[in-house]
Amino acid sequence: MSTPPAAVPRTTGTPRMRTRIAILAAAAIAAWLLPYGLDSYAIHVVDVILIFAILAVGLGLAMGIAGQVNLAQVAFFGVGAYATAILTTRAGLGFWVSAVLAVLATMAIGLVVGTPALRVQSHYLGIVTLGLALAFTSWVTNAEVSGGAEGLPGIPVPTLPGIDLTSEYLYYYLELFAFVVALGFGEFIVRTSLGRRMRAMRDDALAAGALGAEVPILRMTAFLLASVYGGVAGVLYAGLIQYVAPESFSIATMFLLLAMVIIGGRQSLVGCVVGAVSLALVREALVDHPTIAQIAYGSVVVLVVVFAPTGLAGLPSRIRDAVARRRGRRGVPARMTPFVPYEMSAAADPDAPAILRVQGVTKQFRGLKALDDVSLDVPAGEIRGVVGPNGSGKTTLFNVISGLYRPTSGRVEFRGRDMTAHAPYRLARAGMSRTFQNLRLFGALTVQENILVAIDRSHTAESWRYLLRPISVLRRDRDLHRRAREVIDRFGLTEFAELAPGALPYGTQRRVEIARAVAAAPALLLLDEPAAGLNGEEVRQLSEIVRSIRDSGVTVIVIEHNMGLVMSLCERVTVLAGGRVIAEGTPAQVARTPAVIEAYLGDSMGDLPEVSAT
Amino acid sequence: MTLVVEGLSVHYGGVSAVRNLGFDVPGGEAVGVIGANGAGKTSTLKAIMGLVPRQVASLRFGDIDLSTVAARNMVRHGIGYVPEGRHVFAGLPVEKNLLLGAYARAWNAATRTTLAEVYELFPVLGEMRGRLAGALSGGQQQMLAIGRALMSRPKLLLLDEPSMGLSPKLVEDILAVLLRLRGEGMSLLLVEQNAKLTFEATSRCLVVENGEVAMTGTSAQLRHDPRVRKIYLGL
Amino acid sequence: MQVFLQTIIGGVSLGAVYALVALGFSLVYRTMGLVNFAHGNVVTVGAYLASTLYLTSELPFALAMPIAIVLTGAIGLVIERVLRPLENRDFDLMLIGTIGFGIVLDALVIAIWGATGRAVPSPVPSPPLDVFGLRIRTYDLVVLAIAAAATILLVLFLSRTKRGAAMQAVAMDHEAATAIGIHVGRSNAIAFMIGGGLAALAGGLVGPLLYVSPALGGALGIKGFAAAILGGFGSIPGAIVGGLAIGILDAFTAGHFQGYSELVTFVVFTVIIMIRPTGVFGERTVNRA
Repeated sequence: MSTPPAAVPRTTGTPRMRTRIAILAAAAIAAWLLPYGLDSYAIHVVDVILIFAILAVGLGLAMGIAGQVNLAQVAFFGVGAYATAILTTRAGLGFWVSAVLAVLATMAIGLVVGTPALRVQSHYLGIVTLGLALAFTSWVTNAEVSGGAEGLPGIPVPTLPGIDLTSEYLYYYLELFAFVVALGFGEFIVRTSLGRRMRAMRDDALAAGALGAEVPILRMTAFLLASVYGGVAGVLYAGLIQYVAPESFSIATMFLLLAMVIIGGRQSLVGCVVGAVSLALVREALVDHPTIAQIAYGSVVVLVVVFAPTGLAGLPSRIRDAVARRRGRRGVPARMTPFVPYEMSAAADPDAPAILRVQGVTKQFRGLKALDDVSLDVPAGEIRGVVGPNGSGKTTLFNVISGLYRPTSGRVEFRGRDMTAHAPYRLARAGMSRTFQNLRLFGALTVQENILVAIDRSHTAESWRYLLRPISVLRRDRDLHRRAREVIDRFGLTEFAELAPGALPYGTQRRVEIARAVAAAPALLLLDEPAAGLNGEEVRQLSEIVRSIRDSGVTVIVIEHNMGLVMSLCERVTVLAGGRVIAEGTPAQVARTPAVIEAYLGDSMGDLPEVSAT
Repeated sequence: MTLVVEGLSVHYGGVSAVRNLGFDVPGGEAVGVIGANGAGKTSTLKAIMGLVPRQVASLRFGDIDLSTVAARNMVRHGIGYVPEGRHVFAGLPVEKNLLLGAYARAWNAATRTTLAEVYELFPVLGEMRGRLAGALSGGQQQMLAIGRALMSRPKLLLLDEPSMGLSPKLVEDILAVLLRLRGEGMSLLLVEQNAKLTFEATSRCLVVENGEVAMTGTSAQLRHDPRVRKIYLGL
Repeated sequence: MQVFLQTIIGGVSLGAVYALVALGFSLVYRTMGLVNFAHGNVVTVGAYLASTLYLTSELPFALAMPIAIVLTGAIGLVIERVLRPLENRDFDLMLIGTIGFGIVLDALVIAIWGATGRAVPSPVPSPPLDVFGLRIRTYDLVVLAIAAAATILLVLFLSRTKRGAAMQAVAMDHEAATAIGIHVGRSNAIAFMIGGGLAALAGGLVGPLLYVSPALGGALGIKGFAAAILGGFGSIPGAIVGGLAIGILDAFTAGHFQGYSELVTFVVFTVIIMIRPTGVFGERTVNRA
């Protein structure tokens, strides 16, 4: 019946892997032997705890991994349980048939609940999902088919050949099996392509989209996953208790579940399980004082968000960091190694067709014209500089080109196709990649994972592979890792691969962002102030890197304030001022253009009038 | 009252935006800080105001030690601040914006007098007093931002790129206002990209590059110095 | 027609209460960009405080209400103070933090007042008025009058006082507000305090209309929120219009769909969010006092 926990793909070194396998084996044996030490009441409690653990993993996937505030998890749970109850008692279907239909029904509801996430996020999403959860409770309390406030009794016990599931001891093994599969599958997702993308979206939806992650589909997937877990938990609950009533799926249960996930640590599925188990045990210990238990866990939630936002799961690393800090410094600092240039692919062809044509683009914000009839053509293979004083519309132009803004008028043609205001992820998949002025790295992902998100060009819609062809997912992921390694090594980031970018020196972070943008294998690379915050040596390296990227066949457009860099790096420069193109030409040409000098210095210098007033 | 800044540094995460900057603004004088964008000018002003985390060896205004004064109390020590990008309270009427500028003072007859003075300095604000600040043009918003700072009757006015996004004509208007304030004895610290405006409005200037002082001198000297242009344009 | 008008009248007084709840949400949202999920629970606490003072301590209703308002205002202060480290940093965490406070308040209500509810007699015992054949309960008029007075006071506070203007300034640009000398933290605390006070006002007023139970705030909270969204989050006229609309919608659905009135409200409000997340008065929100 029960299988050892599903093997989870891992790329870390073997000694760590061996300890992990040892821990997993010990946990498996403990889980296997657990029922032998428990009385009939205790095993019931354990059975309920396992159901909560499955629910918590589902909520963790949506909230912690994908960053989608989902307060309807309890409704998914309820739909699964009620659908099983209705189908078995009213329609007379068998338990397992009902179970499958119930999970499908829950998934349908999951898609409905997830739809608002396409329009709203954060608080709004929280309140909408909460409202839908309340709507569910309100419906089952009133509808006849669900037995109203009294609920539905008489759900049959599931049957398995040769196993008597009326025994809660044996039911435990059924649940254990479901739980292990659920957790294993969750971890499988988290550690591979889909989960990486969801985590990237959670950390920075904008940057994820700009790297080709299909944000809308990912959000729906998150809700779909949460609903599957909710549905499975609901089915198991119906089979265990054989009775469903509205109060089991109330908002109080939802908040309990939320507390489990927050206290355990929402970004770690194991943390969610730990939270579910420990909170359930505390509640059990205080079973005669439920209000005290509630006050306690509510207060702990508040304390956790203020003082330990990563929850219990985050404590070990926080303690390690604190100890390291007290002891002074940890280990040898990682070093960036030199960039390994690309091989020349083809010499730039001056008559190459334009890879990017911006035609008469105007962008109006309320009263302000940020861009005013801007046109520019960038031939393939060029390094183009875009410069201009503060507020001249450079970043706005990038945002229009990369699809973040819809221009008020005008069009953007990329590789010969009209791509005006296409979703950023479509542009990314068409071969456009960009960096951001203020660095938008995925903070909770490692450097390597940041790169992996960019390299990964698979379609999220193909995630059915996770169910039907898990091996192909693993194989593809191994291939992605190999390619990520190549990029990391080339950019001299090998020693940083396993570190979170937030802790790295700024110059390194800048390089990670460029490596990430290049890893997406773009035809056109947009760099927004890549030299900001870099020192002289780093600027020199940057210039070398950008040139080599171009030599490998990528067209580069760079916004930059460091004029020394622009003048030495770019073949042509477009100067913006007040949202208009005021000059375009070689660096030497534009630097002599009076309009440019005036835009920068306020006057063409040289022949300044005498001071008129003092 | 002299503003003295010594050893001012600003770091964002790992980036050092300003490194060990030092200068002073003697009472009644106008000092300019110019440089291309990204040179650390805005960070310098925000650091003086205490709006960003900073390290500073010494920050004094007269005999007040500003290094321990919270950002919200700077205005109570006579320092007015005109933020980059204007940052008017877009959803409030012009007059309410101006009155809020006098938040640190009691709202009384003296405030009314200051308000009248601001309207006299910027007649257009008087005409628009009931209009929402967000509905003003860029130039009018800039005047409102300056007017708001003046409402606290500051001894020293910190201005962050008042010329940003304005037409040459409007830049001239701003210059006229700055010269008039200077004539009334107010100290000015003007952070600008527009070198011409700065040279005309101030007596001394610092040219910053990559968060450090690249040159200093009187405005008259610097305006004829070709190195300034090189720092700006890289050629 | 008669029935139609009677239903509207029935919805208006509850709508006024929803509007008060919506105002509490909106005020905190305007100043901090945060939806206070504990708001509904503060409403429950307010309802219990007011009814306890009125029933058990036998204070006059007019005295019980202000005391309840002051006490819930203090709860608002505590919530803001505890969550202040997260302000302008992580809104998702703040949201969960307010849910945590909601959980605690919910349990405290049960611990103090028990899990069963109580009926609160109307403090205005006079018989209903008869206007052109329509029955109007006098207490409904009291509710409307108090809600209107509270709204007017709030608007006056925001538009006429220095502190009110400062609160709006903080909402629009907290850095510029700091530079002109406003203590942003204190301003936010006051927003939370007024929000808490409004919650008690709504809870206290609704006591005689509905049954006071631990579940009261949950339903009022979500409907108040729906009202705020419907009108355009952060907008005061929006909150009032939204509140009345939800109240009337409520009254009609109660007549036609019996137990499903809540369901209808939730569905309507989900659809609104999907179609127009900025609400009816959206986009102008910041520009309204």
